[in-house]
Amino acid sequence: MSELRETRWEKTLNVLEKNAVPILFLIIGAIGIIFSGYSMNYLGQEIIVRIARNSFLIISLLIPIMAGMGLNFGMTLGAMAGQIGLIFVTDWAIAGIPGMVLAMIISTPISALLGWMCGKILNMAKGREMVTSYIIGFFINGVYQLIVLYGMGPVIPIKDPALVLPRGYGIRNTVNLIRMRRSLDNLLAIRIFGISIPVMTLAVIALLCLFIVWFKKSKLGQDMRAVGQDMEVARAAGIRVEHTRIVSIVISTILAGYGMIIYLQNMGTLNTYNSHMQIGMFSIAALLVGGASVNRASIGNVFLGVALFHLMFIVSPMAGKNLIGQAQLGEFFRVFVSYGVITLALVLYEIRKRHTRSRAGRLLAQEQLDARRLADD
Amino acid sequence: MIKRRLIQLAVVVLVILLGVIMFIVGKEHTILLDNKSVEIDGTTYNAFQIVEVQVAKGETLELGPRDRDKAVVMGQRHKLTVTYTDRNFEEHVIVKKFSVPIGESMVLISLPVFAAGLDQSLWLEHYEPPTILSLSPVEEELVVTEELIPLDI
Repeated sequence: MSELRETRWEKTLNVLEKNAVPILFLIIGAIGIIFSGYSMNYLGQEIIVRIARNSFLIISLLIPIMAGMGLNFGMTLGAMAGQIGLIFVTDWAIAGIPGMVLAMIISTPISALLGWMCGKILNMAKGREMVTSYIIGFFINGVYQLIVLYGMGPVIPIKDPALVLPRGYGIRNTVNLIRMRRSLDNLLAIRIFGISIPVMTLAVIALLCLFIVWFKKSKLGQDMRAVGQDMEVARAAGIRVEHTRIVSIVISTILAGYGMIIYLQNMGTLNTYNSHMQIGMFSIAALLVGGASVNRASIGNVFLGVALFHLMFIVSPMAGKNLIGQAQLGEFFRVFVSYGVITLALVLYEIRKRHTRSRAGRLLAQEQLDARRLADD
Repeated sequence: MIKRRLIQLAVVVLVILLGVIMFIVGKEHTILLDNKSVEIDGTTYNAFQIVEVQVAKGETLELGPRDRDKAVVMGQRHKLTVTYTDRNFEEHVIVKKFSVPIGESMVLISLPVFAAGLDQSLWLEHYEPPTILSLSPVEEELVVTEELIPLDI
């Protein structure tokens, strides 16, 4: 197949277009660093903390992208399951790493069930996976609130008075996770140039990365890629398309549950009714900032995204304060950038799709022209 | 097919087993250390004038007569070290392993009875913290289900 002849300008434009979001954030970050006045040591520490805190959650988004299901807004389902695990573990007074492991064990069947249900529904809404999973997130959030706000206490026994609302049922707005706060981060933590590095958390993330690399090469991973590229071709090749798609969502939801537990052990506090809703949005925004798109994402995108997105989060309040004397500007900036980047990525994805289609058309035209010229000669 | 089902079942059993182990290993217990005179079967076990207590590898606590302190530990089996000086100014160190019943979140250890070398059932007992009766109306906590953005993510 012949290649499309492009001018240097077109090639540069192509590269810029492919990496538009990370470049934009790099520029915003660089300006923010200058105006915030933060030291490199402080920024380095904050970035390391946030990479350790968020990466696991963001990596959980990779598998559905591989299966062509886009950005899994349904990861909030896993986050809710993780939170339910944490509520139980806190009530039973299980501390440290055992508490985390037990919370993960409790969250696994809940995540799997929710993921299976989500996958089933997404199979009925092919081509509209993202918006469907987003709405499923809202739906399950309602069920979660019903269980946590009214079920926990009278139906599901919760004994710890520090967890239950004064009226006698329902969980309080915030759950103190002091028993497991930074238990994973502080395990084998080392200091390099004054920066504390949570070695164990990073090792867990590295293990997950290795799992993703291995998974991509496995039979199931290959099937997912085939399904992601073309469902009809995959079906013709004997791949159980629907089943493969469900499995990808189930794995993603379970990993999101684990990621939420790792995230919350770092925070040390659980916002019972908010944490999960925000985390989906910010994880997806971070992945997109790293240069991923709806149909293409890699482990590199995860780490670049966390670093750039959170750099913006760290510097923007102080930069806003130094620029116009109001830190709130930075807060608003953070909100509109988070939502804006998702919009931008979706728009870019559509533009790129059209661009690819037009490129394919031009390539075909060029091939035909070349063939005609060859025939004329 | 049967082999596959058996493997799946074995994995589920292993995960449940791991959960049980995590529950036992990670369960936090509050141990109240009590230095009060106690009478058991007509025998009085007097409180120490001064006693040093250490539970597991925690900090050493110093207790006078009628003093009570607490240690928070993880897991069931622990080592209790009690150091005291008798009337002849001789120092005694008693080290004993004990296990906290799994369901107990708070237990009380009577140090004089412990030092006398009696059975664990006599010096370790369940403790129910007293509940405070509040006559003032309970203030309801407003449940917040929506927040624009967290301060720290």
